Amino acid sequence: MRDATPVLTYHDVRKLFGNFVALDGVSMEVSRREVICLIGPSGSGKSTLLRCTNGLELLHGGEIRLDGIPLPRDPRGMRAVRQRMGMVFQSFELFPHRTALANVMSGPVTVLGLSRRDAEARAMALLHKVGLADKAASYPANLSGGQQQRVAIARALAMEPEVMLFDEPTSALDPETIGEVLNVMKQLAEEGMTMIVVTHEMTFARRVAHRVVVFERGQIIEQGPPAQIFDAPLVDRTRSFLNHLGWAA
Amino acid sequence: MDIDISPILESWRFLLSGLEITLLLSLLTVFCSLLLGTAVGLARCYGPAWLRVPLVFYIDSMRAVPVLVVLVWTYFALPIGTGLSLPPFWAALAALSLHIAAYVAEIIRAGVSSVRPGQTRAALALGMSRAQLIREIILPQAIVRMLPAFGSILSITIKDTAIATVIAVPEYMNHSQTLAGQSFRPIEVFVLAAIVYFIILFPITRGVDMLYRRVAHLGRS
Amino acid sequence: MKLDWSVVTAHAGDLAQGTALTVLMAVLTMALAVPGGIILALLRLSGSRVLSGLSASFTDLFRNLPLILVIYAAYYILPLALDLQFSPFTTGLIALALNVSAYNSETFRAGIASIRRGQGEAALALGMSRWQAMREVILPQATRRVLPVLASTWVSLFKDTSLVSVISVGELAYTAMRIRSQTFRVLEMLTAMAAIYWALGYPQAKLVDWLNRKYGITE
Repeated sequence: MRDATPVLTYHDVRKLFGNFVALDGVSMEVSRREVICLIGPSGSGKSTLLRCTNGLELLHGGEIRLDGIPLPRDPRGMRAVRQRMGMVFQSFELFPHRTALANVMSGPVTVLGLSRRDAEARAMALLHKVGLADKAASYPANLSGGQQQRVAIARALAMEPEVMLFDEPTSALDPETIGEVLNVMKQLAEEGMTMIVVTHEMTFARRVAHRVVVFERGQIIEQGPPAQIFDAPLVDRTRSFLNHLGWAA
Repeated sequence: MDIDISPILESWRFLLSGLEITLLLSLLTVFCSLLLGTAVGLARCYGPAWLRVPLVFYIDSMRAVPVLVVLVWTYFALPIGTGLSLPPFWAALAALSLHIAAYVAEIIRAGVSSVRPGQTRAALALGMSRAQLIREIILPQAIVRMLPAFGSILSITIKDTAIATVIAVPEYMNHSQTLAGQSFRPIEVFVLAAIVYFIILFPITRGVDMLYRRVAHLGRS
Repeated sequence: MKLDWSVVTAHAGDLAQGTALTVLMAVLTMALAVPGGIILALLRLSGSRVLSGLSASFTDLFRNLPLILVIYAAYYILPLALDLQFSPFTTGLIALALNVSAYNSETFRAGIASIRRGQGEAALALGMSRWQAMREVILPQATRRVLPVLASTWVSLFKDTSLVSVISVGELAYTAMRIRSQTFRVLEMLTAMAAIYWALGYPQAKLVDWLNRKYGITE
């Protein structure tokens, strides 16, 4: 079921913000069709790693490879890489001056150069997939947080990415709407999408992830299947982090 | 193109006297317009309804009519209409103060209305009088927000004094024009004028920009 | 002393022409100064130190000079410096356009900077180039933000067109004052001039207020 070929490899990745060490030698691999959840305290580097993956942040050391090829540093090369990855943001970042449909069409029309008709067909299918076909003509201001985030997921999927990056997708949502977004993500996982998810939703990680990676202070302190991390962590600091969240291990 | 700054060197005292008038007129205008504008602004916000209408009319009228028009009317038409004949400097002071006071009044209004209404309710609920409310709660909070705008009043005033040349006020622009005409060296004279005004205005504008940045820090609720 | 208001109606045609020229001057200036302001803002926000510095210097210069000085300077210096003879109208237009572009550049710069970083990142994450992100996502939103400020700038510009009268451009102020000199009806003409500016400017100011209420920051 899961491909053995790593689609992404991180080798000794380092990143600084001024004097602050955000990533301190992170190494890991992501295989195709794998769902990885990154967990850990705030500021531990999870989001930074995600943003380095699609070039929104540049590395200070180490290497990230996509399909064996190191990420380019020039803008053109980086743009080509970004087309192969989709990103979903904590603050949704829908374009407020466009309808939901137009938002989802943004990538295909502007970046891929699809005709408006083809882009619209693709966008409507995706809105249907995330359960918001009836909101196609609505503006983000008239959508709930959960609805906006689902549109954002559709927008990212419209580029037909190979990897989906989720940066705390539900952290800004009301409890009632978290479920609808997690369901969409679960469905994506079941369809075999390669996903890297930074999240605090431990239940989601436990149920959907193939592997959980625990970050602390810019380093990976433990990684493994959910059963290991949540039920029998090998590292004490993992256990105390989860206890701190009310997750007895 | 040959450059000859000797006329400037010969007449530097003449130019300097113009600069003195510019600065004097600017400072007096700022003073008068702050006084008048604050009174009008507060009266407009807190005064009785019958006063509000003419005050708003005055403020909006000054926003609609150019400075040049007010200057020229005050100097040429006022004497005919009312018999009150003002010498150029005082006509300019009156016209500029009247015009800029309207801006000041608007700044006051914007500053006062930027303070959350809950503050007023809380103060009144404590039993404060209106005067106490304004003095102790509203103005202190509003002043910080208004500071940058007040700074730009100084800058606007100095620039507007240059327009007073059209009613023969002997300020710097006027003296520059005279010198340019007599010496046939407009480029040198006007370039110098640009430098002089820039040196005066740039620090003020920069200061205001920095103030805006500091105040934006305080932000909205 | 006797007032004769008929002089105003007698010259209504001239005054109308002057008014038309005022409006034309303002419209043409904005037509130049809005794209001018956008270009300057983009230069200012570009990565290049040189371009950014040039744009900032231009803006700083024209924000710190009295407009009447710029007008006189343009009138005397342009012919000598460029060896070209511009009409007073064109000279006035150039001076106004330079002045207003500088103010617009600040307006657009602030408007663009006020758009949340995440919007740009979301656009880049989709694979857009920086220019595509600017064109499709940032600028459309910034335009909404700057609308009230631009309207305010327009009202100021409309009043500032009166200053080109000093170089004999036949707009409203020049026309009214010319008629005053010819007919010696000082109070009547100057009051008529003020009244016409008032009649044009008052509704514009109210429009700006309305725009501020409608498009004011609603984050």
